[in-house]
Amino acid sequence: MNRTLEHILPKVQKPARYTGGEYNAVVKDKQSVDVRFALCFPDTYEIGMSNLGCRILYGLMNEQDHIWCERCFAPWGDMEEEMRREGLLLYGLESGDPIADFDFIGFSLGYEMAYSNVLNMLDLAEVPLRSADRPDLTPLVVAGGTCCYNPEPLAPFIDFFSLGEGEEVTLEYIDLYRQAKEEGWSKEEYLREVAKIPGIYVPSLYDVTYHEDGTVAAITPKDGAPATVTKRIVQDMDKSYFPVKTIIPSTEIVHDRVMLELFRGCIRGCRFCQAGYAYRPVRNRDPKLLAQYGKAACEDSGYQEMTLSSLSSTDYPCLMELCDDLLDYCAARDIGLSLPSLRADTFSMSLMERLQRVRKGGLTFAPEAGTQRLRDAINKNLREEDLLQSVRTAFSGGWSGVKLYFMLGLPTETDEDVLGIADLARKVYFAWRECTPNKARGVRITVSTSWFVPKPHTAFQWEAQIPVEEYQRRVDLLRDAFKRDKSITYNWHDPQTSYLEAIFSRGDRRLADVLEWAWAHGAKMDSWSEYFDYQRWMDALAACGLSGDFYAHRVREKDEVFPWSVPSVGVSREFLWHERELCYQSQTTPDCRTRCSGCGANKLLTGGGRCG
Amino acid sequence: MADRLLFSKTGRAKYISHLDLMRTFQRAFARAKIPIKHTEGFNPHPFVSIALPLSVGYSSQCEILEFTLLEGTGYEEVPERLTAAMPEGIVVHQCYPAQRKLKELAYLNYIMNFEYPEGRPQAAEPAMRELLGRDSLVVQKKSNKSKKGYTEVDLISLIRSWNLECQSDTMTLDAVLFAQNPGLNPELIRAAFCEAYPQFAPDFVTFHRREVLDGEGKPFR
Repeated sequence: MNRTLEHILPKVQKPARYTGGEYNAVVKDKQSVDVRFALCFPDTYEIGMSNLGCRILYGLMNEQDHIWCERCFAPWGDMEEEMRREGLLLYGLESGDPIADFDFIGFSLGYEMAYSNVLNMLDLAEVPLRSADRPDLTPLVVAGGTCCYNPEPLAPFIDFFSLGEGEEVTLEYIDLYRQAKEEGWSKEEYLREVAKIPGIYVPSLYDVTYHEDGTVAAITPKDGAPATVTKRIVQDMDKSYFPVKTIIPSTEIVHDRVMLELFRGCIRGCRFCQAGYAYRPVRNRDPKLLAQYGKAACEDSGYQEMTLSSLSSTDYPCLMELCDDLLDYCAARDIGLSLPSLRADTFSMSLMERLQRVRKGGLTFAPEAGTQRLRDAINKNLREEDLLQSVRTAFSGGWSGVKLYFMLGLPTETDEDVLGIADLARKVYFAWRECTPNKARGVRITVSTSWFVPKPHTAFQWEAQIPVEEYQRRVDLLRDAFKRDKSITYNWHDPQTSYLEAIFSRGDRRLADVLEWAWAHGAKMDSWSEYFDYQRWMDALAACGLSGDFYAHRVREKDEVFPWSVPSVGVSREFLWHERELCYQSQTTPDCRTRCSGCGANKLLTGGGRCG
Repeated sequence: MADRLLFSKTGRAKYISHLDLMRTFQRAFARAKIPIKHTEGFNPHPFVSIALPLSVGYSSQCEILEFTLLEGTGYEEVPERLTAAMPEGIVVHQCYPAQRKLKELAYLNYIMNFEYPEGRPQAAEPAMRELLGRDSLVVQKKSNKSKKGYTEVDLISLIRSWNLECQSDTMTLDAVLFAQNPGLNPELIRAAFCEAYPQFAPDFVTFHRREVLDGEGKPFR
């Protein structure tokens, strides 16, 4: 281990995050590989190591003899301070080598509040922040993840974005890079060529012009770059890479367990949900294969916990079959099996009862809206009766805590809808009184509301986020309504982060300057309250002459050129607009299995197959 | 009585904390397919216990872990299989049935290396000899139990023996310290030295546990 690092580590918290050397970490001979890839997660080790996408890409790249993929995370403040003081550059955990010397520096972008960490990590690596200031072919700074469906605020920093699922395209652009290196291409030549690979978005190949009012006038591709870049998907989940052998951290991480990905996509079509649109079409994995993977992953990892993962596990067609298979295996070995993302229906509850052998702690439901009318408007097809039936089953079975998640500020929301949240929570409370076998134990009902953030590529991409004063008024309204309910705790999300998310998720390239200004003035780890400083971001916007409200609180015209017009998730704009209109009529759209609504995502399936 | 493992923890594994190390062992037993006894109760898990937790950042070649091997695995095959299932830096040397009680474990032999990359000041050696040669050396030690937040300990009374050797850029203290009830963390020796002789404070100090000893000074197993 590097001597400087060894001297630093005793001074920092949780040093095991910075050492590498975990079980299944891949160490190769650097002389025998020709591509070195730094897979960077712009948050702490504990968060990044829990990311399924990173586990997949790490395993997939390292299966290739010629690629060595290493991990890199954002150091916590104490570690950063020591690194800067001692001149220790950001390094790959496996080799300890500075990532500036790697061929690729690849970021996983899952949430906007991690953007400042991207810049900070580049700086810690002593890599120039802006693509234009990196004239050489290496290192190439690339990014993937759901934020890349509108990557514009990061456009000047990242050489190219990989849209959608990375299993295939990652190896394709690495292959092209090997050719480039062999034939001595310049960075420009490589970027022009890589833009021809489906799913690759090279932001420097697009000129963006603006109207006087600040909206985008045109996005013009150059050097043969495509007008639309459509995301990549894995066609057949049964043939795609599954990370059976994953790194087992020697220190605790957030999701410290086997993750079994049942399927991708979601049949539900909730109108606010970016994941619901962005991961289409639905593709299932074979239950027998899943059971095999799950068991093999337990054997290899020694994990005592396994979780089934997807956007809505109840919608997996073979859930019972799979659970039966896994339960037999897990019960015999004291392995816990958990199933998040269940819908609040009775089927799920009977399943939960079978799974939860111990620890009847909390149950979480996300009705999202308080009235049936608004739930219909956002196409959250959850009926009140289903929810109440579920909690009745749960309370009868001995559960004594329920968390309910809602959003405030959804399109068409009225005060009646806001107060409906309180009504619903009270009905849940009465269900407890009616069903609990043990009244003396009491009940904990927690209601949490967040401030709705309209996301690109959803039916609500045209919507304005409601003003903060209005959000606060609705919070107060609800708080008053809960005043007398002693068994109900009401939490509301602090609006500052949501406002910034609303700015950056639908932001354009001009926000890059805001990001850089904020970073230069100390912004980092913005998803951590220890570091987040709202005023700094307001100052950054002011310094760059931009208005946050323009991005967050403005209703867009139907035909406005969005900054995210080039990236496509495969769902047509017409479909999304139609979904928005249905919202205003409080009309629902059936799930994809009941009836295809023609969103366009099935065209991504090359075999001409149907979804789900 | 239970079974025991003797293992070392060096290199990158030095930074694995005590709790994390227990978890690592629980998983490693499962990975190596060595069945061990589980705890009973609501949330059964493989039972392991480590004698005398090692501070984060220290290396050791003499750690002892207690567990109970279930039938089907021979003692002799455990070290190799378990080591293969371990993160880098943890090597299992022996597996054997416990013959004596842990409370018979009386002393720990530590090697402390004081590093002076710019060259060791000549006077550092006599300074250390002076310090350790005192009749008593009372220092404050953090304590959660005490109302004051610290307790006072006399270092000298908790050092059984020591030997000092010097090279041009290091000073190596080989010390046998009381292990438990109360034990002495060698960090306190470093701190006391730096406080008494700040001009000789080293650039860095490494700590290594070389041996666990019984009351007679013989290796404890």
